[in-house]
Amino acid sequence: MDWMIFQNLLVTGLLRGGLYALMAVGLALVFGVMNICHFAHGEYYVLGAYAAYFAFVTYGMNPVLAILVAALFSFLAGAITDRLFFYPLRKRSKGDWVMNAFLLTAGLSVVLQSVYRLVFGNRYRGITQYWHASINILGMTIAADRVMAFGIALAAIAAMWFFLQRTRIGRAIRAVSQDERGAMLVGIDLDRIQTLTFALGSMLAGLGGASLLSLSPAYPFGGNKPLIASWFVVTIAGLGNVQGAVIGGFIVGIFESVSYFFLGQGWQEVASLGLLILLLLFKPTGLFGTEIKSVWEK
Amino acid sequence: MLEVNGLQASYDQLQVLWDVSLSVKEGEFVALIGSNGAGKTTTLRAISGVLKLKAGQVSFLGKPVTNLSPHLVCQRGISFITEELNLFEGMTVQENLLLGAYNCKDGKKIKALQTEVFDLFPILSERQSQLAGTLSGGERRMLAVARGLMSEPRLLMVDEPSLGLAPKVVLSVFNALKALHERGVTLLLVEQNVHNTLQIADKAYVLEQGSIILQGASADLLQNEYLRETYLGKR
Repeated sequence: MDWMIFQNLLVTGLLRGGLYALMAVGLALVFGVMNICHFAHGEYYVLGAYAAYFAFVTYGMNPVLAILVAALFSFLAGAITDRLFFYPLRKRSKGDWVMNAFLLTAGLSVVLQSVYRLVFGNRYRGITQYWHASINILGMTIAADRVMAFGIALAAIAAMWFFLQRTRIGRAIRAVSQDERGAMLVGIDLDRIQTLTFALGSMLAGLGGASLLSLSPAYPFGGNKPLIASWFVVTIAGLGNVQGAVIGGFIVGIFESVSYFFLGQGWQEVASLGLLILLLLFKPTGLFGTEIKSVWEK
Repeated sequence: MLEVNGLQASYDQLQVLWDVSLSVKEGEFVALIGSNGAGKTTTLRAISGVLKLKAGQVSFLGKPVTNLSPHLVCQRGISFITEELNLFEGMTVQENLLLGAYNCKDGKKIKALQTEVFDLFPILSERQSQLAGTLSGGERRMLAVARGLMSEPRLLMVDEPSLGLAPKVVLSVFNALKALHERGVTLLLVEQNVHNTLQIADKAYVLEQGSIILQGASADLLQNEYLRETYLGKR
């Protein structure tokens, strides 16, 4: 293979992978800590996109500020969602949690999409670019937007890593995902941690939507593709494994870029699904999963 | 310090506790003994808030804690070391200890507590950076107790610490509990190992099928005929 082409595919794959990793980390957190099969994740991506659009276009904020505002907005939306919907469900019954929580997110997805339609209309809200520049990487000219989105994704993932590994609350979040009862017994307020986790997951999704605004405009059903991509990455990496989600994101990004080049768009999807089928047949716990995290037994 | 009155508790439709009342004074070493299925663990779960009560009251340091959330009970000063240990398997010994001190925000204090705990359980100091899931049975028990101590509890409740351990390790665990008591920690110990327990506890309650049937100073209970026959196998 031509060296130039190889580089090209690698860079494209990594740029995609970064954003996949970002989305997947949010999803892995929600699933790992709260045991929720979150099927409304895409809707928070769209929320971030809408927020960034209005911040940038209507209020004329500079790109970085607009994206930060969008992230904050998504964080708050996530926190409100947990308090309004998952908190009462937790209080009411823990039986059949997995199914109930999943159905709740499925319903939430439908409702949110309809709300977006109602409030914002069917129009695509997009921008041509945040930054009017291109960056030269290894001889390729890449839009600054793409590179910035990648940079933001990487920064967010690094920040999340630091938060989870080195801070008291981050440690508490990991504790809740490993042993709920143990966490309660050392004095951790489970409800607060759950709300925080969902808020963080939504924030990461919103950050993704906001950074990619020029590449994927905001519209009511814009969450479907990101949702499927996130679940794809999380399933391949191993459910609930946050570190695995990061690596998985990059692997999927590169895989897609390579298969797109060799197979074309239509067959690329076949390749992705083929990969998923093979994995589920031979290593259903995912590339990095050690055991199905007894979600069904909880 | 701890007053428990007329506890009634059930798991769904199955009632397990019918009438449990006990009290623990500050500095005491109290044991709750009985055979398998008597309701000892259930009692501790009810006190710590893990299980909601059907009836009865629990008060600690003069304030009611009945049906309080487990994390609040911990904050009030009761540490519950469960039989399953509930360790954070994917985290190191050190991280587990840090989490034990979750509600303490003073970094220096946490360091001091950690040193104290390592003094008590030197093996944990050696295994500081090891994942909790890789420790041996006895070491895990020690880590669970150490983690419970990191919150500086006024009352430590320990559930069957000797279960499944080799006799030599059982001895070291009991010795550690005795050492804790000598340091002034108030203990409520649940055990099936009646003989060993009565040697180190001040007083004990005997639980049978969800009700307290016997109570008193350990020395007296050791002479009690019913206890000797049923639990110590003596005629």
